[in-house]
Amino acid sequence: MIVAALAVPFVVGLLLMVTQARVSGPYAAGIGAAAMAAALVLYALVWEGRDVVSGEVDVAWIDPLGARLHLGVTAVSWPFVLMTAGIGVLCCLWLVADDTAPALVGLVLVITASAMGVFSSLDLLLLFVFFELALIPMWFVIAGGRDSGSGEARRAATRFLLFTVSGSALLLVGIVLVARDSGSLDMTVIAGGPVVAAVLIVLGFAVKTPVVPLHTWLPDAHSIAPTVGSVLLAAVFLKLGTYGLILGSLLLPDSFAEVAPYLAIAGAIGIVWSGFACYAQDDLKRLVAYSSVGHMGFVVIAISTRSEVGLAAAVFGSVAHGIVTALLFFAAGSMKDRYGTTSMSAIRRGLYGRAPWLAVVFVFAAVASLGLPGLAGFWGELLSLRAAYEVGVVLTRPVAWTALGLALLGIALTTAYFVRAIRLLAQGEPTRQDADRDLDRREVVVMGALVVAAVVLGLWPRTVLHLVDGGFDETVTYHGSYQPLDGS
Amino acid sequence: MSIPVDWVQTGPAVIVMVGAVVGLMVDAFYPRRTWLGSGLPATVATVAAGVELIARHDDNGAPIFALSLIVLVGTLFVVVASNIMNFENAIPPGEYHFLLLSSASGALLMVSARDLVTLIVALELLSLPSIALVGLRQGDRVAIRSAWTFFLASVVSTAVTLMGISLLYGITGTLDYVRLGEGLSRSDLPDSVVAVAVVLTLVGLLFKLGAVPFHAWIPDTYAGASVMVAGYLSAVSKAAALGALLMVLDVALPYSRETWQPLVAIVAAATMTIGNLGALRQSDAIGLLAWSSIAQAGFLLAPAAALFTLHGLSAPVQYLAVYVLANLVAFAALAVVLRLRGSTRFDELRGLARTDPWMGLPLVFAILTLAGFPPAVIGLVAKYVVIRPVVDGDDVWLAVVMAVNVMLGLAYYLRLVVILLARPEGERYVSPSPPFSVRIAKTTVLLGTAGLIALSAWPDLLLSHLP
Repeated sequence: MIVAALAVPFVVGLLLMVTQARVSGPYAAGIGAAAMAAALVLYALVWEGRDVVSGEVDVAWIDPLGARLHLGVTAVSWPFVLMTAGIGVLCCLWLVADDTAPALVGLVLVITASAMGVFSSLDLLLLFVFFELALIPMWFVIAGGRDSGSGEARRAATRFLLFTVSGSALLLVGIVLVARDSGSLDMTVIAGGPVVAAVLIVLGFAVKTPVVPLHTWLPDAHSIAPTVGSVLLAAVFLKLGTYGLILGSLLLPDSFAEVAPYLAIAGAIGIVWSGFACYAQDDLKRLVAYSSVGHMGFVVIAISTRSEVGLAAAVFGSVAHGIVTALLFFAAGSMKDRYGTTSMSAIRRGLYGRAPWLAVVFVFAAVASLGLPGLAGFWGELLSLRAAYEVGVVLTRPVAWTALGLALLGIALTTAYFVRAIRLLAQGEPTRQDADRDLDRREVVVMGALVVAAVVLGLWPRTVLHLVDGGFDETVTYHGSYQPLDGS
Repeated sequence: MSIPVDWVQTGPAVIVMVGAVVGLMVDAFYPRRTWLGSGLPATVATVAAGVELIARHDDNGAPIFALSLIVLVGTLFVVVASNIMNFENAIPPGEYHFLLLSSASGALLMVSARDLVTLIVALELLSLPSIALVGLRQGDRVAIRSAWTFFLASVVSTAVTLMGISLLYGITGTLDYVRLGEGLSRSDLPDSVVAVAVVLTLVGLLFKLGAVPFHAWIPDTYAGASVMVAGYLSAVSKAAALGALLMVLDVALPYSRETWQPLVAIVAAATMTIGNLGALRQSDAIGLLAWSSIAQAGFLLAPAAALFTLHGLSAPVQYLAVYVLANLVAFAALAVVLRLRGSTRFDELRGLARTDPWMGLPLVFAILTLAGFPPAVIGLVAKYVVIRPVVDGDDVWLAVVMAVNVMLGLAYYLRLVVILLARPEGERYVSPSPPFSVRIAKTTVLLGTAGLIALSAWPDLLLSHLP
């Protein structure tokens, strides 16, 4: 079933790229949305329970390397997969506009399918192949947007690509090291690896997450990409990083412990850094992009505690960030469609009076993002803070509490810059512009779905949390052979 | 001194040599102007040599078998793809095929050589015809200059190697690989002399491989040679050099490991870095491939630094197989482009994958294979294969240098890919219905690409069957 769920979007995506102009844009987007919906349904049906690997497929692939085509979803990866598929559907729906190039829909499908491939790989080399597969299509999405031809877009896309590839090249060396020591690339077999491997793997995924100071590719790429590109980057691509870090902490428990303190501090610095950076932004998309660095900081701190709460916080935080940030970028995209810019001073104040529903959605997304209780963003941050407070298995108290203190400061900053953004855009005396226009049907559908998801996750966090609330000891079964770190 | 002849090893080389001579004779008495007719003896001889090689194949000497096979397949590819030069009138086909096959038989001898004299003879047999091949283009001053550069560099490096060999002979009293290995295992030898002898011996092979600091001839030579000759040099000639190097290190010099291991590691690291940095500055596809082939030589050399780990010997051979195929596809595709459009500069290549997808997309795939980037999974797997022994041998620093170079490489490979996939400027280019000879070359490119795609879908095909 997993194979079908991956094959459908891949094949449809490739066909759309090949057929080029022979199908109209909206039609192609419709096909794409259907393909992604099919993948979503298949992945939802594949679930067999949190204690087993669901929908396992295990076929011989490259014997001499010990690599196998081993697919399956676990309690950790399932939420990621579903979120990715859902975002894929919404991105395709978003593209049901008159001026969409069918090839763009194809690229979106290939990117989403590759990300789902990463989340459902149980073999490290297979994971790596999927990880890289999405990069070149992403280059074209970033560089080929509405500002295409501009050297700036190309530079941003190339910087994104080179950063990621440098990370993933180190990751490859890390994988080789792990395979050398475990004699296998299979995650259900791997038990530990040397510290060098943990360093390389964490570095590789940290570029993607991104962890400060490896984040410099992010603001440009996110803000220049077309709307769906930004959504995919923020909601899906960053999750490849956090998912990889979670994997690293699970597969290499002992060596990960050596790296964890640095990771925690880097995450905390990222939170504060992004807070200050956001406060200085005028461009809404850049603001959202920088805010991602902060949100990922919380997830990184959670992962670095390697505790039960930390795992729950990391998974929940990742999924919630995917939904909320996608909503923010869609809202920003709507503004860009109307005003041709996302500069807050150019859009002017008083959106409440000019395009009420757009303003409401934006404000909703902003407060969800800053962590208002009852919405999705809240639980990830709260659990993260709790994980840091309880210190966890591998951190020392000074490190964990330093991270906690910085994170608390970061929450205040986050509130400050989102409130500033709300004041600059939504409130105030309306200054009407010709382009003022409220949400159309397509936007209502896409944003409505995300709003509902954010509310559901906020009110019933257990929908995700019950998957991982057993923590490292019970939940993450890679066929039971994984030995958790129990402090001994 | 009697030299025993082992027909299992030399059979294919002799067949290729006979094919070369027959081709020359046929050309002398029945001069043909079409490349297809002129290339017929060469094609038959290469195929026959391949059949002979496979028929006599047994399990010992697996790396030699694999290397010979790579050389033969590469040569066949070059022979067939050279049809692109039909009616160009710049190169006489008879001589071309004679020189090509002579050189190829040298390559075959080189990988199966078992003593240093054979090695030197084979090295010269490989080099001299290929120098002539470079300078063969009539009335082309650049080609002559390139041939001169190549010639001088080649002669100097062979002389240095001879010096090393004579030192080795002086120390051990033998030139046979196995006995040399035994001789060097004695502990009463003067270390410094052995070290000098080993290093000097390796120089000639590193030169052929195009490793830093003996790489300077490559860009110049490739620029002057016709495209398929450059392809031949980058693929077959390099395969022979690598094969000979591996055999010498593995059989003759295992006891001098402390001397050459750090040297090979450092040379590998420097080669890939300098090659990649050079490629970054190119604005012509041929120049880019020339520099990238230097960088690839570094990747070929790196696992040799970990030769005595479990996969130390098979890894470079497997990487070589992928590299040779991808590089030949790229060169052949560029040869077609050069023939049809007259230039391989980046601005000429813009949008090739859209205007001429049957040439542009194979080129994209070959380049992605060289870069080691999905969807060309085989390229990525090959990178994994060469990093593995290096990590096994505990040279993590070298593995990290390799990782950084994968990234550096991608920077320029991707630039070319983006240019190929970009929207073409101006009006749509309609290629005139190509002549038969061009179609043959195109078919070769497509077959090679089909091979790469098949390997990407199922890398086991290569990894389980080559050593």
